[in-house]
Amino acid sequence: MIKLTNIEKVYRTSSIETLALNTINLHVAAGEFLSIMGPSGCGKSTLMNLMGLLDTPSKGTVEIAGQLVTQYRDKELAQLRNQQIGFIFQSFHLINDLSVLDNVEIPLLYRKGDPAGASRRALAKEALEKVGLSNRMTHFPGQLSGGQKQRVAIARAIVGNPAIVLADEPTGNLDSVMGNEIMSILQQLNTDGSTIVMVTHDEAMAKKTHRLVRLFDGSMVGDAVLKSERAKE
Amino acid sequence: MLRHLFKLIWNKKRAHTLLIVEIWASFMVLFGLATLIVVNVSKYREPLGFTYANVWAVQLHNNQDTTDVGGKLQRIIQRVRTYPAVESASSMGDNFPFSAYQNGSTITYKKHDVQADYYATDDNFANTLGIAVPTGHWYRSADSVGKYRPVVINEQARKELFATENPLGKIISDQYKVVGVIDNFKAKGEFMANQPALFELAKANNTILVRVKPGTDAAFESTMVKAIASQLPGWGVEVDYLTDSRKNQHNLVLVPIIIASIVCGFLLINVALGLFGVLNLSITRRRSEIGLRRAIGATGSGVSTQFVGETWVLATFAMLIGLLLAVQFPLLNVFDLQAGVYLTAMGIAVLIIYLIVTLCALFPSRQAALIQPATALHEE
Repeated sequence: MIKLTNIEKVYRTSSIETLALNTINLHVAAGEFLSIMGPSGCGKSTLMNLMGLLDTPSKGTVEIAGQLVTQYRDKELAQLRNQQIGFIFQSFHLINDLSVLDNVEIPLLYRKGDPAGASRRALAKEALEKVGLSNRMTHFPGQLSGGQKQRVAIARAIVGNPAIVLADEPTGNLDSVMGNEIMSILQQLNTDGSTIVMVTHDEAMAKKTHRLVRLFDGSMVGDAVLKSERAKE
Repeated sequence: MLRHLFKLIWNKKRAHTLLIVEIWASFMVLFGLATLIVVNVSKYREPLGFTYANVWAVQLHNNQDTTDVGGKLQRIIQRVRTYPAVESASSMGDNFPFSAYQNGSTITYKKHDVQADYYATDDNFANTLGIAVPTGHWYRSADSVGKYRPVVINEQARKELFATENPLGKIISDQYKVVGVIDNFKAKGEFMANQPALFELAKANNTILVRVKPGTDAAFESTMVKAIASQLPGWGVEVDYLTDSRKNQHNLVLVPIIIASIVCGFLLINVALGLFGVLNLSITRRRSEIGLRRAIGATGSGVSTQFVGETWVLATFAMLIGLLLAVQFPLLNVFDLQAGVYLTAMGIAVLIIYLIVTLCALFPSRQAALIQPATALHEE
């Protein structure tokens, strides 16, 4: 589903050159639940950005759902992100001036052939039901707890039924109870067929995934298939 | 997407109140200015009804001399007509074309009153000012023989007095008999409305309109003035070129419009700068939202379009309030102007506001489009 080949990412300023990722080769299969761990600054977020087509590698190639995106232009990348990828962020990135339902609808507004208003709303409601927030649709983000905000963000990520969900420290801002709730939702999404890549600092959360990749100083230093609780099931 | 933008702006209406008020105020000022301009442009496009090139207005002031004033004026005009440089000469009252004077009179036909401009002129007036008389004829001395005094009216007076009736031979105000109808007569210049006008035959008037041959210079003017002064000792003689008087009349109309335009221009610049600043600030504050939108499928140009769209929505809110007020002008017939004038002015004001907000939004929206989503999403 995601294939990174010989990826190198270098950040350059006028005086400094920083190698953020060094010769990364990673293949994430369809239906896999992968976690990425590593110390701060090791390149986790950079790797997520490359997988999410938010950034381009300095060297190497990225394939998403069988499509080699190296030569893709902004418009094509945007369409691919919209149709194939859902994003979940540590700080939720909800728009505070829009209701929960309106926030969840946003990805559908950018979809090619933009679904009609009524069907957009129906899809958004369905996504909110999946994360157990159908009773908060008219609320605004400021009226929700951290866990609820993250559930809204998950609903927004899955509303367009993407094949891939990229979660960048989704439980990083939550307490353990809420973190576990969010993790359960992600596990359910994975069971339903989504490929999930999650960056985390939490070993316990990582152990709930199928596979754990470890990064250090921009290099992959570990890639292990886990016998997670989920895998045991 | 449009609905989404409306909702977004509507939910942030409190934060945008000041900006909405600013755009609304600019719209109202622009609407006022545009109305003024539309009115004057439509007046300007109406033909003047006479020619003024090479026409001089010689004003004669009798001062203390009260002896046979009429006879003296008659002799002067006859003398003026003898000059080879003079093509035609006619006498009329103080309210000659482009002068500051105005005479009004109420004229009545079948108990219907019309307020008209009144001009006392002689039988050579139409010839001197090149006025066409499509209906009837310009009055002649021979027309004065009857009980009624011969008058010529303009088309506007004809419409208001007679509607579909043939005006020729009709008696108005129990004393005038219509002998001719001319088209327009806008004595105060192109910016004057084509008001009803009535011309009456009067032999002795203290202004002589002189149409001279093209190229006639100041030397002739001096010769003519000296001759008149020697013939009328103690009288004052003053010569105005109608081309110069027309410029003065235009200035009376144009100067207030220019001043209003400058004031309006400053106001619009203020609004533009305010809008530009607010949009720039908004983009800085909304980097995370921009990053998110890019992540979930917006292109760079899509983000740029969104910001321009939001500005349009904001302007639309402000202008809807403005239009509600502006539409009262034609509905209540304020200032007695045609509804089309107000509607055109509204259209112009709407277009200018949209143009300004678009220009103001272009640069900030381009900046928004250049924001790297990967960077913006990890800034918090």
